[in-house]
Amino acid sequence: MNINVLVVDDEKPLRDFVRRNLEVRGYKVSTASNGLEALAVFKNEDLQLVIMDIMMPHMDGLEATRRIRENSHVPIIILTAMGEEADKVRAFDLGADDYLTKPFGVGELLGRVKAVLRRANWSEPASPAERIVRGEIEVDLERHKVKVRGKAIDITPTEFNLLVYLMKNAGKALHHRAILQHVWGTEYGDEAEYLRVYVGKLRQKIEADPLKPHYLHTEHGFGYRFEA
Amino acid sequence: MRRWIAFNRDLGLQLLALYLLLIIPFLIALLIFDRLIGVRIREDVQASDLSLARSISQEAELALTKALKTVEGLAKYPEVVRSDSAGMEAVFEVIINTSPDINLVYRLDANGIMVYHYPTGPTSTVGDDFSFRRYFQRALLTDQSLISEGRISPTTNQAVATAVMPLWSAEGKFLGLVGANIRLESLSETLTAVVSEHQTEGGLQVTILDSAEQIIADPDRQLLLQPAGHIIPGDYLVNFNVENHSQIITAPDGEERLYTHAPVSNINWDVIVSRPTSSAFATQLILRRVVLVAAAAFLLSGLFFWVTLTVRVIRPIERLGPISASIGLNQPLSQAEQEQLLSESGRDDQIGHLIRSIIRLKDSIAERMKEQATLLETSTAVVSTLDPETVLNRILEQMGRLLSIKMYAVIALDEKNGSFRIRAGRGLSRQFIEQLSIQPTEPDSVTMRALHAKEPVQVTDTETDPSYAIRKRRARAEGYRAILAVPLNTQYAPPTALLVFHPTPHVFTHNEIQLLTSFANHAAMAIENAMLYERSDMRLREQTHRLEALVQSLHDGLILSDLKGAVIYANKRVGELSELSTKTLMGMHVDQILARIAAKTSGKTHRKNGAHKVLNKKGEQTLEIPQDGSDRTIHLRLQVFNVNDEEGIPIGHGVFFHDVTADRELDRLKSSLVSTVSHELRTPLAAIKGYVSTMLADDVEWDYASQHEFLTIISEESDRLTNLVNNLLDLSRIEAGSLMLARENCDIREMVNRAARQAYLSPGNRFEVRMEAKLPKLYADPPRLESILRNLIENAVKYGGENAKIRVEVSRQAKDFLFRVRDDGPGISETERQNIFESFYRVDDSLARLTSGTGLGLAICQGLVRAHGGRIWAEPQENGACIAFTIPANNAAASNNRKKPKRAVRQ
Repeated sequence: MNINVLVVDDEKPLRDFVRRNLEVRGYKVSTASNGLEALAVFKNEDLQLVIMDIMMPHMDGLEATRRIRENSHVPIIILTAMGEEADKVRAFDLGADDYLTKPFGVGELLGRVKAVLRRANWSEPASPAERIVRGEIEVDLERHKVKVRGKAIDITPTEFNLLVYLMKNAGKALHHRAILQHVWGTEYGDEAEYLRVYVGKLRQKIEADPLKPHYLHTEHGFGYRFEA
Repeated sequence: MRRWIAFNRDLGLQLLALYLLLIIPFLIALLIFDRLIGVRIREDVQASDLSLARSISQEAELALTKALKTVEGLAKYPEVVRSDSAGMEAVFEVIINTSPDINLVYRLDANGIMVYHYPTGPTSTVGDDFSFRRYFQRALLTDQSLISEGRISPTTNQAVATAVMPLWSAEGKFLGLVGANIRLESLSETLTAVVSEHQTEGGLQVTILDSAEQIIADPDRQLLLQPAGHIIPGDYLVNFNVENHSQIITAPDGEERLYTHAPVSNINWDVIVSRPTSSAFATQLILRRVVLVAAAAFLLSGLFFWVTLTVRVIRPIERLGPISASIGLNQPLSQAEQEQLLSESGRDDQIGHLIRSIIRLKDSIAERMKEQATLLETSTAVVSTLDPETVLNRILEQMGRLLSIKMYAVIALDEKNGSFRIRAGRGLSRQFIEQLSIQPTEPDSVTMRALHAKEPVQVTDTETDPSYAIRKRRARAEGYRAILAVPLNTQYAPPTALLVFHPTPHVFTHNEIQLLTSFANHAAMAIENAMLYERSDMRLREQTHRLEALVQSLHDGLILSDLKGAVIYANKRVGELSELSTKTLMGMHVDQILARIAAKTSGKTHRKNGAHKVLNKKGEQTLEIPQDGSDRTIHLRLQVFNVNDEEGIPIGHGVFFHDVTADRELDRLKSSLVSTVSHELRTPLAAIKGYVSTMLADDVEWDYASQHEFLTIISEESDRLTNLVNNLLDLSRIEAGSLMLARENCDIREMVNRAARQAYLSPGNRFEVRMEAKLPKLYADPPRLESILRNLIENAVKYGGENAKIRVEVSRQAKDFLFRVRDDGPGISETERQNIFESFYRVDDSLARLTSGTGLGLAICQGLVRAHGGRIWAEPQENGACIAFTIPANNAAASNNRKKPKRAVRQ
């Protein structure tokens, strides 16, 4: 296992805590104490995961996340002292894949790290049809490419996985929990707000009019449904 | 009653009644007179006829009596008795010659045989028997003479009546008779004479009838011996013996005649006089005709007079009624009415005069009305504004309009110069207005004369008036020949007069002067009004100004509008909010202003919607308005309320923009505090939880050194947590103003070092303390001072980075100790430096930008420094950041902060 993780936090004790625990479990860990440093490290190293605090001097975690997302789909876990949903949504909006609320224990840390890494590396079992076409949407499973109305779109792994899962179950109403467990992992189930953010982002990318979705329909109080 | 009213109201009827009242008695008198005169005339006619008849009858009787006497005399002659023809001839001859009436005398014997007659003539009847004659029969029965009926004598062949004397012998033997034939024609001749006498009366008819009602005599001889019925109606003949001798009866020829008769005594003859009524009553008829003509003339002239009166007088007067009424009301006359007036105004009589004076009256009323209207307008102008200049100008305009004067001015005493100057003028040259200056000491100036006399003074010709001689040049230059000065009756204002100039010599009429006096009074009123207003209302205005200044300087906006929403008042703040001048706001609609203010919330659709709701809703609404040039937002709470008068009736609306930005910031501050505190607490907690869970993890076995390290960190983080909690408590005390400092003399270097130890310096950090030599001990609360220093050092580490060089400098500055905490990190930007101590209060939706620790840390530092009576700031420097603060050195400086606590608060 040669996984390079970047831990960014201005609080040395916390940074050390994360670093020590990941290193002892075989991850290669780099650290940074603020956003600017994090971007410097990100430029120089090949990273498989970023764990980033939000509140930091010089450049905060959200800004750093946004900048990283400009160039990369590397999974990002946000650390936040605030449990409020608005902040989570904001983090997701900027491209974070998951988050951890301070304080958190080692178990939670490792669980999220594994789940995020699994999602990022998740490849569909080889299927006879390596392409799925539903309406104007064309998904190349092997190369993780999506074309909408003939145009290739930029899509993160989690978004890709969510889209594929929904397309494979086209026409069926899928429950929040089922979607979360299938796409994010079995540890998940109650994080309906993740779905809201990701479905919203998918709609921005595939729907002609995101406000009047043609493909991704909301089943109120239940879940979502893909309709070709 | 109604008729009576109609009569009373109708002059025509009254005149008619008066006319009838005069004419009817006159006509009645005329009729009575006519009747009386008629009776009288008739009586006269009858009497004259009767006397005529009687005189004729007497005459006839005389003739007959004479004839009878004659025959009676004859009877005494023996020759006659003896019937001696020769003797009779002589006797008879005498008789015939002496009596022209008698044309034959004869002697009949006892058997009625003619014995002799004289004259004998060719047709002698001697021998003829005449015994058949009635007179003969009658003669047999009497010894008196008698007259026979009229007959034709066979002897003379003439109409005659015979006077007969029977002859009786002494023995009583009838001897015959002697007769004399009376020629009836001779009677008729008498009548003819009478009739011819009465020829002027016309139609007079006189007839004598015998007992057999034969016509014995008549002017018309043809009628002799004819029956009377030929010419006299039978009715009259039947009633011969009636007492009434006169009667009007229609004659057989159809003519109405008055018949009168008189009997010829003893012989049963009648004289009948008749005349046609037309001639008999001619006088009466003429008189009646005169009466009728007179009555008709009266009636006709009355009618003519009445018609004339109606057409010429009453009708015009009636028509004048409504016209004069409408003139009185100053209503315009219709075309027809005007034509009527004009057509009748040409008359020369009194009506024409009346109409002309009514037309004049009309014109003068219209003129007066115009004057009154102008005066009224002037009065309105006077009361409509309190600006005397405006009013004066209006009055002057009205004057020019009404009086058709070209040059006029208001001149008043300029109290600054002590001379009279023109305040406002029309039609005058600028030079004249500016240069005219009359000294109060010029007693012969028109203005001064008028002001002294307090009545209008005029100069009818400036060229000839001796008093104006010295001002002639001025008059010539300005081009006026006559001048009138009317003084204004002012009490409070300086003496003022109205001047009117006329380009030609002119005598100002009484009417003009009166009007100008009116204007002058108005002008005086305007000036006085303004003066009095200024005096009496000064205080009220001051108050109003004060109140307005208050409202104007409110930080909150206030709009007052009428019921329709037009703005009556808006204060300065509203102008700022809507970015309009206060003047522009006046009269705008409230909704427009609200929309304008609300429009600034654009970009956020939900805010816009909210703003629209505000316009339609009463009650409270909140608007958020971003302020230009900064990221600050103004929060306004809108209150729309009704403005009621004393009786509670709504007279308008008010909109109050309450600036709740501070409240909002406080709210935000509170939630921001909670979030910050939560974050601050979570940070050490996260470390503690992290290491504890690390040690508890089953999958990794940590060596002892690591475990020790973890436990140390846990312990340090716990201390940090405790510190944090204490700081928070302090902060809340600072906020509440209840922080108690426990001051004591403390060693500065020791405290700086202690603070640095707690500040988690990285191994890469270089820490340095520079202190001025011989610094005395500082009188301060040691744990609080330590807190300040530790927070600042921690920030320096955080922002300066792990390899930053951190230096704490302490020096004396006047009465203060000056502390500086420097690092050589990236430093603080200019804008940040200004806001750094406010950052905790920063208005922002999210705390994400709040960098860890700074918010609370600097806030705590600031609170504690201030609690010590010092101040804290960020100093600009080229590299890195520098936070400086002062702590007062002496006790006195600190003592004014708070009383020395009885029990120090320590932790």
